[in-house]
Amino acid sequence: MDKVKQAMRSLLQPLLAIIVGLIVGAIAIAVVGGDIIETYKEMWKGAFGSTFFLTNTLSRATPIILIGLGVALAFRAGFFNMGSEGQMVLGALSAAVAALYIPGPAWMKLIAALIAAIISGGIWSALAGWLDAKFRMNLLITTLLLNYIAVLFAGYFVAYPLKDKTGSAAMAQTAMIDKSVWLPKLFSGMSLHAGFVLALVGMLLLFFYMKYTVRGFETRMLGANPLFASYGGVERGKLMLISMFVSGGFAGLAGAVEVLGTQYRYIEGSLTTPGYAWSGIMATLLAGSHPIGTAAAAILIAALQTGGMGMERNTEVPLEVSEIIQAALILFVSARFTYTFIKRRKKARG
Amino acid sequence: MEQLFDVSLFASTIRMITPILLAALGGAICARVGLFNVGLEGLVLIGAFSAVVGNHFTGNVWMGVLFAIFCSMLFSGLLAYLSINLRANVIVVGIALNFLAAGLTTFALRALFNVKGAFFDKDMVGLPKWEIPFLKDIPVVGNVLDGILSGHSPLVYLSFVLVIGLQFFMFKTVTGFRLLAAGENPTAARSLGIKVTSIQYGAILLCGVFCGLAGAQLSLGNVTMFTENMTAGRGFIALVATMLGQSNPIGVAGSSLLFGFMEALSVRLQGFSLPTHFTSMVPYVVTILAMIVFKDKSYLQEARKANESSR
Repeated sequence: MDKVKQAMRSLLQPLLAIIVGLIVGAIAIAVVGGDIIETYKEMWKGAFGSTFFLTNTLSRATPIILIGLGVALAFRAGFFNMGSEGQMVLGALSAAVAALYIPGPAWMKLIAALIAAIISGGIWSALAGWLDAKFRMNLLITTLLLNYIAVLFAGYFVAYPLKDKTGSAAMAQTAMIDKSVWLPKLFSGMSLHAGFVLALVGMLLLFFYMKYTVRGFETRMLGANPLFASYGGVERGKLMLISMFVSGGFAGLAGAVEVLGTQYRYIEGSLTTPGYAWSGIMATLLAGSHPIGTAAAAILIAALQTGGMGMERNTEVPLEVSEIIQAALILFVSARFTYTFIKRRKKARG
Repeated sequence: MEQLFDVSLFASTIRMITPILLAALGGAICARVGLFNVGLEGLVLIGAFSAVVGNHFTGNVWMGVLFAIFCSMLFSGLLAYLSINLRANVIVVGIALNFLAAGLTTFALRALFNVKGAFFDKDMVGLPKWEIPFLKDIPVVGNVLDGILSGHSPLVYLSFVLVIGLQFFMFKTVTGFRLLAAGENPTAARSLGIKVTSIQYGAILLCGVFCGLAGAQLSLGNVTMFTENMTAGRGFIALVATMLGQSNPIGVAGSSLLFGFMEALSVRLQGFSLPTHFTSMVPYVVTILAMIVFKDKSYLQEARKANESSR
């Protein structure tokens, strides 16, 4: 009974957040003189209205889920990994390079590309962890800094040595990856690709890792109470490196599935412009770092974005309403910390 | 080489750093009271937008600047309320604020001006350019100095005055010492009767003022228009400049100069179609190296302790 109650309570908060977000969105819609119900209907249609829109939403959610999972793991361990963007970009670049230049059959190229992405994203992330463990440098800042370096680094490669010179357009991008190496589409004619399945597998793996393994328990302990964790014999440095590596690996994988499933080449700015990294962080915050919740929140955020596009196509209301809803969600969720804080204080007094 | 480094390169450096410098000074004040303000980007964006709005509707550029300050302060007040009174995690609130700012400005752009992407009004007058008198008359270096230092908007000169003023305020006045104390050890400061909460509020609101000025310089000084997301990561660069400058006004000015110079140099190199990626990278690499040399100060340790966990 208690368990059900607890589950209900953890669901109540995000639901409340969504309601508040929708109310704020309704105000914004009313301000520009739109019909609130009609607009939300269009938004729903744009996100889930047909198989096409649904698969479109899910394919947009794929990198967001993967990034969110990575960030969730780092958050659970108590580290603010803000470097998903750089890790994702490096993962995408290495996936493209591996898929283009590694010899062998197509399936081997595909697997090599995925592994290369996980490793490069992971190492980039673990570097920040190492700097923290070794030099006590603030992880939040180093991950932010490493973002810029990674994005510029990848930008250099596609602008000069790896640039696709076959096309007439002077875009900074790699050559097109061979069709046999592409991640297969789940339904023909739809944009949803096998990367979504990978994301779901990643979600389940992370869920079981956090819940049922010793290392997962140690990770949660380190985040919840670092002193207690070290008293219990948890090695902070080692665990930090591992969690950051896995966290970055998820982000790298996110970049890889975008390249192998949607773009088929690394295009400069194709991953940073849609703001996948920030959306992923937002999903994690919304779900309080719970793996399954993070995936659900990522789909919600993707739905807000694709729904917003649908809304803009069919009504006079601008796309940015969905951005305002997203921000309101996060602000509400950040105030949730407060709610628990007040409750704790009341308990302590009483 | 001579083509690469000339007077106009340094002049454009100065123009480019001003928004970063102003925002970074704001970030430094926040860092000094133990709050790591990730929302600089959003605050500057709000400032840039409201400066254009104020200018458009009042027809007076100074009203535009004032309106920018007012709006940025309002938003920083939200940050202060959520993170101080409601004890929400300041980093989370900062991230949310960035989202809110990006969404609100583009939304309001559509709602107020009915345009998408950018707002430009040919009748709108930007900030005036000030010529410094007598600078030309200095022998030998006069023309060079004039080329570099003259002809900027008043906010550019104000930002340099603010650097010195802030340095003086932080390290030479009683209020400044209280501010530092509140950041370094809030508990001890509170026990001495220092009102830590009001100092934190003051610091964040002051940060809002600085960010409003930064935004006004961006949208009324460098150009006279507002484009969607025109901050383009400058707020985060300011954050890095704060870190590199060790939250020390003069240090922040130095690191902002480095960032501005590298940005101007990148623009220049682009003209010669040389790779700019590595010159743009330099400030970030330097910051990481600098962080190894300068160990975290205690106030940052405090900030970190407060922010280490996501819950």
